[in-house]
Parts: sequence; structure tokens; C-alpha cells
Amino acid sequence: MNRSIKSLYLALAGGFVLLFVMLGYWQVVAAGGLNERADNPYQFEKQRLVDRGRIISADKVVLAESVAYTQKRKKYFKRYYPQGDLAAQVVGYATPQQGSTGLESQYNQYLAGSYGAGAILDKLREPQKQGADIRLTLDTRVQKTAEAMLEGHRGAIVALNPQTGQVIALASSPTFDLNQVASDFAGILKTEGAPLVNRATQGRYPPGSTFKVVTATEALNSGKWTPNSTFDDTGKFVVFGQTIRNDGGVKFGVNTLTDALTFSINTTFANIGTQLGAKALGDQMTKFGFAQPTSIDLPSNEVAVSGRYRKGKLLSNTQRDEDVARIAIGQENLQVTPLQMAMVAGAIANGGRMMKPYLVKRVITPDGVVVRQQRPEELGSVSSAYVSSEVGRMMQNVVREGTAAQAGLSGLSVAGKTGTAETGTKGLNDAWFIGYAPADNPKVAVAVVIEESSGTGGQVAAPIAGQVIRTALNAGPVQGDPQP
Amino acid sequence: MTLRSREIFFLVPALLLGMLGLASAASARTDTLQAGPWQTAVGVAMVFLVMHFVLRLRAPYSDPYLIPIMAALTGIGLAELYRIDPTLAGEQALWMTLGGIVFCAIIVFLPDHRVLERYRYIIGLTAVGLLVFTAVFGTTVNGSRLWISVGGGQRVQLGELAKVLVVIFLAGYLREKREVLAIPTERRFGMDLPAFRHLAPILLFWGLALLVVVFLNDFGTALLFFGVFLAMLYLATGRALYVGLGLGLFLAGAMFIWATVPRIGVRVGAWLNPFDDAQGNGYQMVQSLYALADGGVVGPGFGRALLVSPGGTPRIPELQTDFIFSAVADDLGYVGSIGVMLLFLLFMARGFAIATAARDGFSKLLAGGLTAVVGLQAFIIIGGIVRLVPLTGVTLPFMSYGGSSVVVNFGIAAILLIISQRSRQGLLDAVRGVPAT
Repeated sequence: MNRSIKSLYLALAGGFVLLFVMLGYWQVVAAGGLNERADNPYQFEKQRLVDRGRIISADKVVLAESVAYTQKRKKYFKRYYPQGDLAAQVVGYATPQQGSTGLESQYNQYLAGSYGAGAILDKLREPQKQGADIRLTLDTRVQKTAEAMLEGHRGAIVALNPQTGQVIALASSPTFDLNQVASDFAGILKTEGAPLVNRATQGRYPPGSTFKVVTATEALNSGKWTPNSTFDDTGKFVVFGQTIRNDGGVKFGVNTLTDALTFSINTTFANIGTQLGAKALGDQMTKFGFAQPTSIDLPSNEVAVSGRYRKGKLLSNTQRDEDVARIAIGQENLQVTPLQMAMVAGAIANGGRMMKPYLVKRVITPDGVVVRQQRPEELGSVSSAYVSSEVGRMMQNVVREGTAAQAGLSGLSVAGKTGTAETGTKGLNDAWFIGYAPADNPKVAVAVVIEESSGTGGQVAAPIAGQVIRTALNAGPVQGDPQP
Repeated sequence: MTLRSREIFFLVPALLLGMLGLASAASARTDTLQAGPWQTAVGVAMVFLVMHFVLRLRAPYSDPYLIPIMAALTGIGLAELYRIDPTLAGEQALWMTLGGIVFCAIIVFLPDHRVLERYRYIIGLTAVGLLVFTAVFGTTVNGSRLWISVGGGQRVQLGELAKVLVVIFLAGYLREKREVLAIPTERRFGMDLPAFRHLAPILLFWGLALLVVVFLNDFGTALLFFGVFLAMLYLATGRALYVGLGLGLFLAGAMFIWATVPRIGVRVGAWLNPFDDAQGNGYQMVQSLYALADGGVVGPGFGRALLVSPGGTPRIPELQTDFIFSAVADDLGYVGSIGVMLLFLLFMARGFAIATAARDGFSKLLAGGLTAVVGLQAFIIIGGIVRLVPLTGVTLPFMSYGGSSVVVNFGIAAILLIISQRSRQGLLDAVRGVPAT
């Protein structure tokens, strides 16, 4: 019988080995996923115990902080947003019920204090801990101006430092009060205009004529044209049996490339696009970052990819058999985010070098130790410095005497390009402006979009951009600070 | 070192582990350093020390490791109960005292367990009687009819006692029939089988196990009884075919019930896909999985996991009984829960070593069966918690809250130690030339 006893023991021990394995699966392998499930009550409890780090703007305004309170002789914390709705979509929230968004989500591990030592050592610590502060590149003075300009509109404004990629303002309208998330989330959901959406990074808009900056860059890159090359406009350009006309049906006659950008001549750019071909224009789009995820430090599901969409699906930049003439003037299912267009303007401003956009420059522990620091990072080059300066010169002309005259600021050279994209509803357009200033030493690049406006980009978006640029340049050395 | 010295050598650290656990849980409750309920801790330690001294006097040659293993398991269990609710720990300590008394009584008044073999049929009938009594007069708690209400709001789980009686009966019955069962005489369905009249008890038992599922609405108890039966049948005959056949029949029966009884179907659904109904039928399972995940690799320590809401309600229903292991896994992490499972493996190793060392068939079957009961029961409930088998409401031996469970498991340990004592005593007597009794 002793052999049977041994076999029985081995069988039971084998069963226990299975238990070890399964338990290891739940406690180690699957633990991460289980811990993050929205209905996991541990999250809620733990979150209340953590003195979450603050979110502080570049000009040292506290956007989010934790406030202690006592319940049943135990110390808990709750989140408070002193600025209420300022930069709400960027700051975001982190609650067990509503999930987490924005920087609160992206930098959760630092804010919640689980930086550095690693998960296992963390477990050995006391559950009550203090999170690290994150310091933003965002300047509330510029952000406030941007949000004030958007008041009453639906739209978005992005302002960034083209030399570093630091985002100075990222505004989306309508907005919401972050303090309302915990008390009345349903109320926010009921608000018209989807305030939770970060239009600056998530909104996909047809770029309209702002896209001509991309086409112009490739036109010069190709070496086929200079800013002074001439074109003959007959008032129409026929491709695929469809006629492309200029805004208002205007016939410009003989025009230069500079004229074409200054007055946003569709026929000339359609002509250029056709001659460049789908491959060349598509490759230039790829250099500008189209059809690729934008590398800003926000949750990836809050940053849309710019590019051409068909039936809701992203297409590659270089498709065969496509209407390259219409792509060249920003039509043909192109959908772009304001952030992407600010990066286009920024790349031209920065000698053709596109910088990685970022919102957080430093993560600092309560002891004052900098645990993470973001330095300016070059993503790639869109053109030679010469070509970008030529494109920039043409864009200056747009503001000086063309469609974007209302973005002009006295005593300052601004470069820009407007766009007026049809929305499908007659008389309502998405009004665009992208540009940068000062033209000779760019400190700020902007993109402005106003949804369903009755005016043009030049009438509606350009003056707003002018205000934002002025505030950014007056705000002081913070944005220009190349030291992150 | 004598066996008993070895026992005390391991018992003291095991007891200290429990005391430390209690102090740690108490400190976590108030966030200050606390000695914890030292009266309870000392009381429980005294119970184990008395057990040790009774063994010194009456069973000096019995296995020295069983008591320290028990002490470690009960200590961890007590600390977990204290962190869930201090009153539970106080009551559990009382049950452990009662368990200690039963333990000592068995050691003192049952010097030779082989008398049990003589009364095997009476014992078997008593077991059946207890189960039938439960099925008829039982109180239904959480859907399962396992309890008999006695005065003062207390409930007794007669099934716990029945399971030991069944093992005693089977040990006697199988000792008698093992030859005829082990030697196949007929060939049916391509298998060598013993005569039907010898096979009938297996089929009877299979039917009974399924009846338990239906009437007591308790899959765990059925699985336990049937598993122990198969284990002992295998011990007696050495024929794995019976185990396979029995398991096959049981699974077939269980599948049939699953398909036909909607209530069981819902339970199986909650086992397979708990997240589909995380707020309803899957709630307990899902909360338990969150507890396992929260514990992670090392866990925050005794009493430090967020198992109990600020209002004092455990997050997992039945945390103190069926889900005590989830509490351990949360507080002590994977490392701690592996430790607890290793203690159960050690217990089984000692139990089966006692069975191996026993010198007659009945003792071997009894020791093997009792050990299998403890091991299987731990496997069934932990397997349910990790979703290896359907979740069932059986207690985790030595750890779950509950008087019936504690007393019966202390009794099992006592019988194992008596068997151990007798085999070694017999060996020594044989060496010394003392005539066998």
C-alpha cells in the first residue's frame, strides 16, 4: 500500500503545484490588469490614501493639488483644482469612477508616488505616501488668453515654442470645471459641445488652405520652383473631371509662388500638387508627421493622428490613384489636429527641424529631487534651413499683405497662413490660422481653429492668433527658456 | 533530541509567528505599535503547549512536526481573522480551546485507534444519519444547507464530523474488501473490473455524492466526499483505473446536473466568466481576484491590505470562512500564500509519512484518508479561489473561522498522532521483544 500512498501524495502535490501556478498568474502576471480595472474598489481606497503630487504651470500657478481630510480618525486626501476649468482637458482628472485622463493619467505613477524604487520595493513601503509634483511648460497667462479668445466658440488653440517643442498653451473650447468631475460628472456629460474632448489634440479638422504650407515646402524642396516662379491662373484647374476654382471665383492671371501663398490661390497649388505627384507630396507629409501618432506626453487615446481618412480609417500618406491636386490645397479627406498644424508652423519656424512637443518639463519629488526631466528633442527634419526660411518669408508676406493681415502686430513680424475649410453646411466654415513670431527669431508657433464660423480664417482665426502671440511674447522669458 | 523536544523546538517559533501576526494586524488597525490581543495569543499558545505536554505523557513517540504545522496555520488564520474583525478572532480562540480539549481527550481516551475498525458500520451509518439529518432539519445559509441550528444562535456543521466518520468507515470497509476489489474477475466494456457486487459501493457512493449536491446544494462537500472516497479506494487497491472511472462518472453526473439544474448552471457561469456579471453572481469571485491582484508579490503585511471597508464590512462576502485564503493572499502576497500552501503540503507529507509507517492496513487507510481529507479540502477551496475548479463553500482547514471545522480538524490531527504513536511504539516494542498487543 505504501506505493499507493506515495502516488497519492505526489498527485495531491501536483495539484498544489497547479495552485501555485494559477495563484502566480493572478497575483503576479494578471495583477497589473486587474488593478487597473475601473470597477476595482482598491483603486478608490488607495487613491484616497495618497497625497498626490501637484500639477504646477510654468509660471508657478497650481493647477491641481491634494487636500487632506480626516474620516474615522484616518487621514485621506481629495483632489482639488484651484483654477477650476483652466486647461481642464490638459490637466485631466483621475477618479476610480470616471477613469483618468490628461496629465493626471499620463503622469499618474509620479503623481501617485510610485516613481523610482520599483513596484516590489513600493509594496514594502507604507501605503500612505506622497506623490511627486509635475512642472509644466504651459503658461497660464497664455492659456488664459487663449481660452478667453475661444469663449463662445467651439475650437482650439495651440501655442508652442518652436525651438524647444515646449507647449505654452493648449486650449479647447468648450471646457469644464475639473472640480465638477467628482461631484457631478453627469452634468458635464450633458453639457453641449462635448467639453471633455480635447479639441487641440483629439479634434480632427479639414486643414483647408493651411495645408498649402506643406505643399509649398515640398515645392521648394523639389527644386522645381522658387518663391518667384510664375504660374498662369485661368481661374480654374480641372482634375478628374472636376473643376477647382479660387475662393470667390477670382482669376489671378500670372502669379508667383509667393503670390499664390499670400492670396491662397487654389489653382496654382493644385497645379503644383499635380506636378509634384502623390509620392513626393506624401513623403513630405510623412516628414511633417502626418499619418503617425503625435509624440506629445498625453494619453495616446487623447491624441488623434492627422492624415487622410476614408470611412473613418486612416490612409497612408502615399496612396495610388489619388487626387493629389486636391490634397495639395488641403482637401480630399485630410483631417488634422490643431497640435499637428502648430507643429507644421513650428518646424518652418525652427529652420526645418521639427521638435517633439511636450507639456511636462520636470518631475520633482517632495524632497526636491528631480526624477524626470524632459529636454528638447528633435523629431526630424522637414526641409533644409534655406527652404524653411524661404517658406517663412512667403508666410510673412501672407500676414503683411495677404489673407492673414489681421494677425499682424505692430512692430513685430508675424509669419502665417489662413485656412477656411468648408464644413458641409453652407456658410459655415472651420476657420484656421497657423503661424509664428517673431519671424526672425521665432519664440512662439500657433495654430487656431474655430469651428463652424461664418467668417474666413483671415477674419476670425487670424486676429485671435495675433492676441495669443502677443500674450506669449509679452509673458516673459519663461517660454523662451531653452533650459527645460 | 527526542521527538517531543523536536516538537517544542518547532512549536515555539510557530506560536511566535501567530503572536507576531496578531500584533502586526493590531498595529495596522490603529497605525501605532501594538502588542495586540495578547490574552488571546497567550491563551492559544497555552492550548498548544498543553497539547504538547499531553503528547509527552501519552504519545511520546508520535510525529513531532504535525503540531507545529497546525500551530503555524492556525496562527496565521487567527491573525487574519483578527484583522477582519477582532471578535471573530476571540471566538475562534475559544473554538481552538475546545479543539484542544477534544484533541487531548482523543489522545488520552483512545490509546488504540484500531477499536474504531470494529465499529465501522455503526460509524458509517452515523455519518449517513448526520448527512440525512442535515438535509432534513438543516438551515440554509447562502444557498447551502449545511448547518444545524442549535441554541443561542450557534450553528453546527455536522458534515464536518461526517467526513471523519466516513473516512473511518471507509478505512474499515476497504481493509476488508481490498483484495476482492484489487483483483479483477470480469471483463466489461474493455476494462478489467471486479464483480459487480464489490463494485456496487462505488456506484452507491457516486449516487450519494450527487444527491448531496442536489439536496445540500453544495458542490464542495460532494467533491470532497467523493475525492476522499476515490483516494482511499486507490490506496486500498492501487488501481488508478478506479480513480479515472470514478472521476469520469462524477464529472458526467456533474455535467448533467449543470445542464439541468439552472441554479447550478448560474454558479458554473459565475466560475467561468465572473466578469460578465461582476456586480451580481460573479461579485464574490471578482472581489477576491482583486484581492489577489492587490496582494501582488509580497503584499503589504498583516492587516495592511484594504480588505475591509472603513465601515468595517469585508469587501469579499464570506471573507472569514470560504475566502480566508484571499485575505492571506492580499495581506501577505504571493510569497505568503505560497508559504501557507507549503504548510499544507508539509502537513500532507507528515500525514502520508504516518500512513506509510503504520503497520496494518486499517491504520494506513485511516491515516491516508484523514490526510487526504485535509489536503483535498485545502485544494478544493484554494482551487476555487484561483478558479482552477468551481468555487465552493468549504472551509480552509485550520484557518477558516468556524467551530465545527476547527474542532474536527484538531480531532483529525489527534487520530493521526495516535496512529503515529502506535506504529513507532510497536516498532520499539518489537525491537525490545515486548509481545504485540
